Amino acid sequence: MKKTLSVLLALSMLLGLVGTALAADDWITLKVETYDREITGLDVTDCWQLHYAQEHFGDPNHIKLEFVSYARWTEGDLLTNALAGGNAPDICVTYNGSLVQQCIDDEGIWQLDDLIANYGQNLRAFLGDELLGYGQSDHDGDGVKEQWYIPARRISVANVGNFIREDWLKALNMEKPTNVEEFTAYLRAAKEAKLAGENTMPFSFGIYVPDPLYNVRRFTDAWVDFSQVTEEDWFAYARNPEMLPGAKEGFRWLNTLYHEGLLPDTFALSDNDKANDTALIMGYNGFFSQQPDQPWRTDKNYQIELEKNVPEGHWVTVNPFYNESLGKTLHDKYAANGLSIIIPLTTNEETAIAAMKYLDWMAQPDNMFAMQNGIEGINYEGISPELGIPYGVKSADAVPNENKMHAGDICFISNGLCYFDDEKNAAALALPFAGYEEDVIASYADALTDAWTQISFTVAIQAETDYGSTVKSKQGEFLAAVVSCEPDQFDAVYEAGLQDILNSGAQEMIDEFRQAYKDGNYRGVFPGNL
Amino acid sequence: MSVKTVNPKHRKGRSWTQDWRLYVMLILPVAFYLIFCYKPMIGIIVAFEKYNLFKGMWGSPWVGLDNFRFVMKMSDFSSALTNTLWLNFLGLVAGFPVPIILAIMLNEMKSIGLKKVSQTLLYLPHFLSWIIIGGMVLQIFSPTSGLINALLLRWGWIDKSIPFLTDGPHWQFTYTLVGVWQGMGWGTILYLSAITGINMELFEAARIDGANKLQQIWHVTLPGIRSTIVVLLILNVGQMMNISFDRPQILGNAQVRKFCDVLSTFVYRTGIENHKFERATAVGLFQSLVGLILISGANFISKKLGEDGIW
Repeated sequence: MKKTLSVLLALSMLLGLVGTALAADDWITLKVETYDREITGLDVTDCWQLHYAQEHFGDPNHIKLEFVSYARWTEGDLLTNALAGGNAPDICVTYNGSLVQQCIDDEGIWQLDDLIANYGQNLRAFLGDELLGYGQSDHDGDGVKEQWYIPARRISVANVGNFIREDWLKALNMEKPTNVEEFTAYLRAAKEAKLAGENTMPFSFGIYVPDPLYNVRRFTDAWVDFSQVTEEDWFAYARNPEMLPGAKEGFRWLNTLYHEGLLPDTFALSDNDKANDTALIMGYNGFFSQQPDQPWRTDKNYQIELEKNVPEGHWVTVNPFYNESLGKTLHDKYAANGLSIIIPLTTNEETAIAAMKYLDWMAQPDNMFAMQNGIEGINYEGISPELGIPYGVKSADAVPNENKMHAGDICFISNGLCYFDDEKNAAALALPFAGYEEDVIASYADALTDAWTQISFTVAIQAETDYGSTVKSKQGEFLAAVVSCEPDQFDAVYEAGLQDILNSGAQEMIDEFRQAYKDGNYRGVFPGNL
Repeated sequence: MSVKTVNPKHRKGRSWTQDWRLYVMLILPVAFYLIFCYKPMIGIIVAFEKYNLFKGMWGSPWVGLDNFRFVMKMSDFSSALTNTLWLNFLGLVAGFPVPIILAIMLNEMKSIGLKKVSQTLLYLPHFLSWIIIGGMVLQIFSPTSGLINALLLRWGWIDKSIPFLTDGPHWQFTYTLVGVWQGMGWGTILYLSAITGINMELFEAARIDGANKLQQIWHVTLPGIRSTIVVLLILNVGQMMNISFDRPQILGNAQVRKFCDVLSTFVYRTGIENHKFERATAVGLFQSLVGLILISGANFISKKLGEDGIW
C-alpha cells in the first residue's frame, strides 16, 4: 500500500513538473536594449514603462519582456562587445552608424523585410516607406535593396540654434544683426563697451573634437560662393565644408575674431567645454551656437542659470549668417531618421517575430502615448484642451520612483514626443520650457528657415570607414591652426592644412562620395535647390 | 649582494614534499598569468585576418599582412610612431634620475615623521586619475587665464602668454614635466627598499674612514642600488614603444596634434572607433615586437658592460 502510494506521489510530481514545463514553453523571453542615463530613482530594468508594456503587450502574447540596461554614453562599445560575444539583446538600438554598417557587412543581423511585411504594419504606417528606406541597402549586390535596420523617426529635425544676448543689444542700442558685418560690429562693440567687465568674451567658441567642422560650417557656409558649387560638388564635399569655394574667408573671419580677442584663446584646449559653460552662465558671452532648445534644456539651463548671475540676461535666437550668393540664411537640419534598431542573428525566429510584434505594438498611437507620457495626474497634470497634448509635464524628481520614465529611451521608435500630428508635435517642443515658450518657438522657426537636410549615402562608403576618423582629427588640427595662426600666414597655413587633410584620406572619401552621387545613392538637400 | 645558503639536506627530489605549501601558493599567480597574459596572446591572429564581428577570430578570413600594410601606409602612422618614441625618450631622460635622487634625499632625512609625510605627499599624484590632472594642468598652464600666465602677466614679467599647451615644443615640455611630477614619488619605492638593503656596516666603515655625506652617497649608496637602477632602466627601455592612452589624449589638444598624436591615440582612431579591430591588433603586435627588440638590446648591452641584466 505504502509502495503504491509513493509511486503515485512520485508520478504526480513528475506530471506536475511536465505540466509547468509545458506552460513555461508557451512563453518566450524578449530582451530589449534600454539606454540608462543614470537618472536618480529610475531603474530602467524595472520601470513603469516595462510594467505597462508587459501588461498590455507581453501578457496577452505570452511574451516575457526584459529590459537590458546599456549605459547611454558607452552604448556603442557595450553593444559591440555583446554582439561579438553572441549575447546581445533581441532588440538592439544604437546611434553608432558605423557599428550598424559593420553588422550588415559581417552578416550578423536579421534581414527585416519579411518580418515587417508580416508583423509590422503599424510600424510601417508610423515610419512611412521613405523613412524605412534609410535602413535599406543592397548587401548581396542583386540590385534590390534589403531592409537591415529600422530607423527611428526623428520628430524634430532642427539642428542649429544661434543665440544672442538681447540685453546686450539694448545696452549697445543695436538691432538684431542680420548679416555678418552687423554681427561682427556687435561683437566688437560688446568687447569695446566691456559689457561683462574684463571677462567680456563676445563669441563663445570651442572645438567639438569628435567632428570639428560639424558645428563650424554653420558659420563658414555663409561665405561659400554657390555660383561655383554644383550639386555634385556639394555631395562630394559632404564631410569637407572647408574645401568649398569661398569657405576660406569664413575661416579668415574666425582668425580675425581670435586676434581681436573676440573669441577665447583657449578654444582648442580639450577641457574647454566646461570653461565655456561657465562663461555662458556667468554672462561673459554675447553669442553662442548649439542646439535650438539649448538655452532652456533641463540638463544645462543657460537661461535660468544666467538670470541668477545677470537678472536682465536674455538669450534670443539670431540669424546673422546670411549667404549673399544664395540670398539665404542657411541652416543644416537632421535627416528624418534617428537611432537604428537591429535584431541580431543570435535571436531565433520565434523571438525575432516577438520583437517585431513589440515594435509594432509600440507604434500604435494609444500605446505610444502611454509609453511616452505616463499617467495623467502623476507624470503630467492634464491634457490641454486647445492643443490636445499634455500640459504641466513633471520633471523626473517630481515623480515617484515607480513612475519615473524616459520617453525617448524606452519608446525608441520615436526620437522625440510624437502625437501623430505635426502641429501638436511642434507645440510639444516648447511645452517643457514653461515661461519661455515664445523664445523656444522662435528658435525652432529660425532653425528651420532655409534649412538643408544633412547629407547621407545609401551605400557603404569604404573610404569613410577607413579614413573618416583620421580626416576629422586632421580637421581639428586644421581648425585650431587657421583660427590661431598669425594673419599674414593665414593663406599658407590654410593651403597646407587642406593638403594635409586631402592626403590623410579625404581625397579617397571625396572620390567615393562623388561616385555615390553619380550613382544616385545619396540623400540630403543641396542649398542651391532650396 | 645577497648570500645564498645551501642546506645539504635540501635536495631536489625532496623540495616538492617539503615546500608544497609554497607551490600551492604559486598556483593563483601562475593561473593569473596563464589566463590574463598568455591566453589573450592567441588573439594576435586577428592582426592577420579581416575580422568579422560575428565569426570571431577562428572564423574570420585570413588576409596575411594586409592590415600591417594598410596601417603603415596611413599618413599619421609615422608621426604617431616618432611622437611615441620622442615623448617616451623625453620622459626617460627627465624622469628616470628623479626618483633616484628623491629616494636618496628621503633616506637621508633625520626626522622619521617628516620623512613619512614627504613620502605620502610624493606618492599622492600617482593615485590621481589623468582626468583630474588634466583639469589641474588646464588651470595652471592655460594661456591668459591659467595660474602661471595670469600671474606673470599681472606682474608684467611677460607681455604675451607662454603657450605651455598650445605650442608644440612647449607642450612637450609641459607633458614631460607633468609626467615626472606624477610618477616620481611612486618611483622612489623600489629605490628606497634597495637602499634599506644596503649593509649598514658599509656606511659605518665609510664614516670611520672620514667620508662626508656626499662621499657616502657616491661611494656606498649609489653602488648599493646600482643593480636596481640597471634593471629598471632596461625595463623602461623596453617600454619605449608603449604609451598610455589617457595622458596624451587628455593633455593634448587640436592645436598641438602634430606633437601629441601617439600610437595609442592613433590605434583608438583607426582601429577602435570604426570597429577595425584587426588594425588595432596589428599596431599592438608591431609595438610589442619593437618593444621586445628594445628590451633584448638593452639587456644585451648591460650584460656586455658587466651588469646582471634581467635574464
